[in-house]
Amino acid sequence: MRDKSLFRRLVIGVVFFWITVFVFFPNLLVVITSFLKRNPVRFVEASFTLESYRSLFEPVFFQIFIQSFKNALVATLVCLVISYPFAYLLCRIRPSVRRYLLVLVIIPFWTSSLIRTYALVILLKGNGILNTLLVAVGVIHQPLQILYNEGAVFCGLVYTLLPFMILPLYAAIEKLDPQLVEAAYDLGAGRLQVFARVILPLTLPGIIAGCILVFLPALGLFYIPDLLGGAKLMLLGNFIRDQFLTARNWPFGAAASVILTAVMGIMLFAYYRSLKRFNGSVME
Amino acid sequence: MTRSRFFSRFYLGFIFLFLYLPLLILIVYSFNKSKYGTGWTGWTLHWYRSLWDNTLLLDAAVNSLIVAGISSVAATAIGTLAAVAFYRYRFIGRKVLYSLVYVVMMSPDIVMGISLLIFFILVGLPIGFRTLLLSHITFCLPFVVVTVYARISGFDPRVIEAARDLGAGEFQTFRYILLPLLMPAVISGWLLSFTLSLDDVIVSFFVTGPSFEILPLKIYSMVRLGVKPEVNALSTVLFGFTLIMVTLSQLLVKEKKR
Amino acid sequence: MKNSVSLCRVLPILLISGIFCLSAPGPVSAENGEVYVYNWSEYMPDSVLSDFQKETGIKVVYTTYDSNEAMFAKVKLLDGGGYDLVFPSTYFVDRMGKEGLIQPIDKSRISNLKHLDPSLMDKPYDPGNIYSVPYLWGSTAIGVNSAFVDKEKVTGWNDLWDPAYKNRVLLTNDLREVFGMGLKVLGYSGNDTDPAHIEAAYEKLRTLMPNVRLFASDSPKLPFLNQEVTIGMIWNGEIYMASQENPEIGYIYPKEGAMLWMDSMVIPRNARNVENAHVFIDYLLRPEVAKTISEEIGYATPNTAALELMAPEVRNNPTVYPDAETVQKGEFQVDVGDAILIYQKYWEKLKAGQ
Repeated sequence: MRDKSLFRRLVIGVVFFWITVFVFFPNLLVVITSFLKRNPVRFVEASFTLESYRSLFEPVFFQIFIQSFKNALVATLVCLVISYPFAYLLCRIRPSVRRYLLVLVIIPFWTSSLIRTYALVILLKGNGILNTLLVAVGVIHQPLQILYNEGAVFCGLVYTLLPFMILPLYAAIEKLDPQLVEAAYDLGAGRLQVFARVILPLTLPGIIAGCILVFLPALGLFYIPDLLGGAKLMLLGNFIRDQFLTARNWPFGAAASVILTAVMGIMLFAYYRSLKRFNGSVME
Repeated sequence: MTRSRFFSRFYLGFIFLFLYLPLLILIVYSFNKSKYGTGWTGWTLHWYRSLWDNTLLLDAAVNSLIVAGISSVAATAIGTLAAVAFYRYRFIGRKVLYSLVYVVMMSPDIVMGISLLIFFILVGLPIGFRTLLLSHITFCLPFVVVTVYARISGFDPRVIEAARDLGAGEFQTFRYILLPLLMPAVISGWLLSFTLSLDDVIVSFFVTGPSFEILPLKIYSMVRLGVKPEVNALSTVLFGFTLIMVTLSQLLVKEKKR
Repeated sequence: MKNSVSLCRVLPILLISGIFCLSAPGPVSAENGEVYVYNWSEYMPDSVLSDFQKETGIKVVYTTYDSNEAMFAKVKLLDGGGYDLVFPSTYFVDRMGKEGLIQPIDKSRISNLKHLDPSLMDKPYDPGNIYSVPYLWGSTAIGVNSAFVDKEKVTGWNDLWDPAYKNRVLLTNDLREVFGMGLKVLGYSGNDTDPAHIEAAYEKLRTLMPNVRLFASDSPKLPFLNQEVTIGMIWNGEIYMASQENPEIGYIYPKEGAMLWMDSMVIPRNARNVENAHVFIDYLLRPEVAKTISEEIGYATPNTAALELMAPEVRNNPTVYPDAETVQKGEFQVDVGDAILIYQKYWEKLKAGQ
């Protein structure tokens, strides 16, 4: 009995300590900053104001938000569609080979994302590899202007975020008991039924995890869209960065960050609630 | 059956090609005479030679590997324990702490970087390797927690109950029952953390000290004048090294099993 | 069983505690101390650093940043401490000086100051050069690919608006430079703080957007070399390097005036190794050293003695070293104070309105 309470207390203690110290307090600083007034020299001064939040209700900010949201949503869906079959098929392979392949999936991402993006530029540019190939084969006659357009941005986003969908999906699909699937087939269910009624619900936690790990970072990503899209659009990431570094309007940047977090939080919460209703006890 | 196997191999192969294509381009261009990667001008090993002399770049690479190695292991340990705690134990503030884990993922990098720096200054921690490490662990944490939690939810609680009835303590339940079951998620979480830590720029920029240079910062700083192909050479070397290590450990594991 | 604590749990804890204990500031390995330099990556040749170390015994600890704004935020948050020598661009010297982040340079300790070109000293961003010593300088003007663009027809910023260049124009991703161009085209100064003028510049820039292929502040020469753009706003060093690979790429100074910038050396207020910083500055101003720096990096040195050591084709290349008249017509950027908020607002509108 003593062993139980010690381990339990230790674990809860570590978690409590770490999250309170390194997450709660810094974020509290952010929230406090959003209510302060801008000071041109000292970044902020200690006087309460709602000015920053008021200034957020501009059409510009909504446009920026919608654009970032759209990018993140499409990237997440594409990643999901590509990764699910990949993770599923990966789980069908022998365990020893499977783990090796999983590590192989992520090794390319241990190189700097900047030079990987430059490699994408070489691939997608006017006289680049893709265009040369397509012209040589005869599919097109003029090189496509993929680069510095939305197409290149989505390629870059999906490419960068793919492992963040594959790995959680793999972790969740791996525990799927093949015997359950066999049993469903034996009972006479068709392929679609087996997928919708057996496989999908059992792997749903993995799908949710993957979507979260892709969508949330994608909302804030701006470097890769800038490099591949030509920085013609302003995204949430640039917007907030500009407030902190260029305009030195910390309260405004902090307020934007708080609103962003709040909106994401509400969406997540609503999503979980609706899932609970449809799926019983999948979560919590 | 063979047709679906063919399709399965084809799809896996195609996605692997997609994942590796930019890396292959990168590797090929490390042998390109052209300095700017605009066109192929001939084979050369020049960049590898100058990489060998570029101590600043190599030091930064070693620093990044050290930070990524330590912080990913620590984040995986704390994150796994956190996921287990959130799932199994009921304690005060559980829901708040769980939401705070998500807040880390939702905050923009720059907000996190600046707020952590100010926090460290207020608390009086010297800005350097320690603060860098603490920050990296913090932003890797949610990725481990979410991955492990997704796996642990949906496990049959009766297995754990059975273990408890047989007299196992909390720690033993964790070590011998939960951990093996969670291993794929723990490994996935570790891989994600290592990847995140190796490539972080904005948070690291603010929380690192004047004497500790890390690789992603250095590479991003090169863009003003142009990223030299030495970086390609470095990435090729690191990739080759990693590939060899991973393959070796795979073969060794196979040997052990026999 | 109860006592065998899992290695995988203990190891990380041991590692972490070990690192904490060991990561106290290390012993000073150089005999004469160190100097902490904060600069752009590759903006100082390795040979210069190692030669300096060999000669003086002072160890150079070199860390990097990727934008002036980020560097400013970091130095400000550290209250001018941590770094001994920083390399801000023009108006950041202005701002850092005004906010007391940097200390006056002791000119008596820098004998090589005499080599610097007087026409590049005493500029509005640091009158009298109290805080800064010029390092490298350059301009932002018009780059063209003469294979696609008739060089004779391009005389000023206004030519970028020509519909013939639809989707073929490059702009740097810097709001002061883009709006600087917008203001200059209308006849105003690039440092204007009048909200009405800035708004007018915004309206003018909006009409340019259909021509703009991309904004780039990372290696802007690449889109030129890749032939994705044929004309645009770009820094002179980039065009100089691009012209080495493709001689058809050239540089034109606009009649409305180019934008000039200077990267200077400053010493933060709470720097620990002030003496070593001065020694390093003096070393960098030696003619041979300045020549090496300029040649390897590709930007112009303000050091006249170094110029005399250079090959004539470089010294007389107008892309790198414009004549005095062009420098006169050009304008150095200064800090615009709170007007930056107005610039930022219109920059967001410009980008979001796509």
